[in-house]
Amino acid sequence: MRFFELWTLAQKVYREICFQSVFSFRSGGMLPQRGRGSVEQLVRNAEVNTLISKVLTTIFVAVFGFTVFVPLRFGSYGGASEKVIFASGVSAFLAIVMSLIIIMGLQVSTSFVSSKVLEVLGPLPLSKRDISSIVFMCFVRIFDIPLIGSMVILLVAYFIAGGTLIGGLVSFVGIFVTEIFALALTIGLARFFYSRVANGGGRSRWKGFLRTLFILVWVLPSFGTYFVVSFATQIVQSFASATQVFASASQLLLLIYPFCFGFMASFASFSQNVSSLTLFLAAGSSIGYSFLAYYAFRWTVRSVRTIGAGGIITSVREIVKDTVISPQIPWLGIIRKDLRVASRSPSYASLFLLPPLETILLGILLGGSFSTASATGFSAVLGILVGISLVTLILPPTLLSLEGLASSYTRSLPLRKRTVISSKAVLSALMYASSLLILVLIALYLRKSANTILTFGLIQLLSVIAASVLELVISARKFWREGFAVGNMYARLSTFVVILIPGLILAYVPVVAAVLAFEFATSMTAWVYLAVALLEFVMMLLIASRE
Amino acid sequence: MEQQAAVIVENLTVNYGTFTAVDKLSFTVKTGEIYGLLGPNGAGKTSTIKVLVGILEPKQGKIDIYGTPVQNEVAAKTHIGYVPEEVVLLDSLTPREFFEFVASIRRLNNAINPRLERFTTAFELKQYFDTPIAALSMGNKQKVAIIAALLHDPQLLVLDEPLVGLDARSSKILKELITYHAKKGGAVIFSTHIMEVAEKLCTRVGIINKGKIVGEGTVEGLRKLVKTAAGSLEDIFLKVTEQEEGMQDVINALEEE
Repeated sequence: MRFFELWTLAQKVYREICFQSVFSFRSGGMLPQRGRGSVEQLVRNAEVNTLISKVLTTIFVAVFGFTVFVPLRFGSYGGASEKVIFASGVSAFLAIVMSLIIIMGLQVSTSFVSSKVLEVLGPLPLSKRDISSIVFMCFVRIFDIPLIGSMVILLVAYFIAGGTLIGGLVSFVGIFVTEIFALALTIGLARFFYSRVANGGGRSRWKGFLRTLFILVWVLPSFGTYFVVSFATQIVQSFASATQVFASASQLLLLIYPFCFGFMASFASFSQNVSSLTLFLAAGSSIGYSFLAYYAFRWTVRSVRTIGAGGIITSVREIVKDTVISPQIPWLGIIRKDLRVASRSPSYASLFLLPPLETILLGILLGGSFSTASATGFSAVLGILVGISLVTLILPPTLLSLEGLASSYTRSLPLRKRTVISSKAVLSALMYASSLLILVLIALYLRKSANTILTFGLIQLLSVIAASVLELVISARKFWREGFAVGNMYARLSTFVVILIPGLILAYVPVVAAVLAFEFATSMTAWVYLAVALLEFVMMLLIASRE
Repeated sequence: MEQQAAVIVENLTVNYGTFTAVDKLSFTVKTGEIYGLLGPNGAGKTSTIKVLVGILEPKQGKIDIYGTPVQNEVAAKTHIGYVPEEVVLLDSLTPREFFEFVASIRRLNNAINPRLERFTTAFELKQYFDTPIAALSMGNKQKVAIIAALLHDPQLLVLDEPLVGLDARSSKILKELITYHAKKGGAVIFSTHIMEVAEKLCTRVGIINKGKIVGEGTVEGLRKLVKTAAGSLEDIFLKVTEQEEGMQDVINALEEE
């Protein structure tokens, strides 16, 4: 079969995988009643979402690359030597490219390894070689823009920073090796996630712990990406400090990826006195990693072909001792189901972990300003509470979208709208409350008074519950009308934003009232804050009770 | 003894945009009856069933389930056990977790466990009890849906192609369960494309074509109606859905190729 024909077939498979990664479980079996036009629109949306994800990853890489390399041209890094900074910059860039590609590719790759669409190719009159080629092309398409973009960005940024031709060649090899490592790790993690986590059942606490650990491993780098890009310069300086400290102590760093490539690029870019042992170690380990990348590439191709042949083995079944179940009251049953579903889906689980992670970060950054008396302390506490409210309010529509996963079945159950709303609102409130607790602990650790945090935090809890209920009422009404995962930020971002905005407004109104009160009648601040939040809370409870 | 009406459907109309899937459909199912809903693909069977179980909003029409209007959705749904045509469950959950969720929503308590044990043994599902639904075969997923539908001992069973994917043993058990359910006074609405099964199992059948009931009654009654007394339900079905005409020509054309 000709390349063009294979590429066209790979395009069709790729579209289906994009669709499956965004509309997992095929929207709960409700697609047939949506009509052809609507489903075609959803298919296009899925492809556009995946494209946006690829472009965003490339933009992150570009921002990081230019932030790191451009100051080198103007000698903006004070302190550390230019050569060390250069080596650190290349090393940090390679590390960031690897983590970004893995983060971006993991969700689509998990759909790729679990996709049943590949089974469709088997019975067709295609040779095994053709099927392998189609599957591999499809896999490459998941990453095409970031892979090519990262290479171009590194080379352009490198030459802008004043690099040489040989240094450019070394950098090219470094980024090539990095991308192969990233692909191998992504496919490895996706296979592990599918076979052991997403598709791995089991009742044991160990399995539950394993799932949580895996989700955490995925979520932490995702959350860290924003900060990596925001603090690119500081990261390179830290890399440089570490490099100097380690380099003076030993030459071990030269053996470690990605530093070997960083140092090789630096040696090739600046005239410097380098001992033959140093050069030998850096060149030797770079060649060694290049060989490793060669084997990683072969393993990746083999793995992708195995997937094409339908060879992913899911976890072994456990011996079932009994069939006892323990039903709960309905709203508790929904909460337990939501937590179980989320624990097996990184995209949902990451949203659960955002509020506590945001709290830790903001608490550490702004904790020094915690004080009951000053305006700075007041605004620091309110600022953190607003931040936690913002990320908490992403949860309610997302939680409701979980109902869409099997909506053609669950909607046949005798489920009241208000039971669904109350269960999701309780879960969202619990996430906010746990973040508040973390903030109190940070304040106590920093030996600051936690009174303001606790008072304002509990008042804001009322507003967060009211806002959650508002979001849930809007999305539940849409869901009951459309029978679709209306609040899924991955599926329909526009609807998600429309649901989110009223919630955010509701959560911010008491804060604005508190700020105004602080300005004009400081002693009344807490009372005004409480009155507005309480009013919102009561109003939304009344609205929810009528659902 | 006079049989009570378990389900009353009157003038039901379902639209998808400008397309009318169900057109002023009316039928009644009595207690103790197994009512077969038959029809070609796209005739409106599944749309009718989805309105009955509260998944789909009709454009117009009146439906009562054991005297409860379907608009009173929570009360109406407590009477029903439903097996959907396309079994899309919460795939990341295990059957145990899924049954726990369904039992919680249906406000069942631990007393349900012996019943659940009996069903899982009967359908040989025990070994898959802690395996994610996503990893189960189509037949085993179907068994999960069937057990979930039977768990609360509903008065009305609504089964949309429930035998698809089932092995012979499970299929036989399900058919026996359906018959027993009707005998003890329950009602069953059963959609299938397998005419032999409908002929043997159903007390009455309703044949839908293009959203309308084109034939209704016992198989014997329909035979008299279409004057093909010796014919099977399949022959009756093809006749009333106007698919018989020209069919031999199509078969001949295919054989000539």
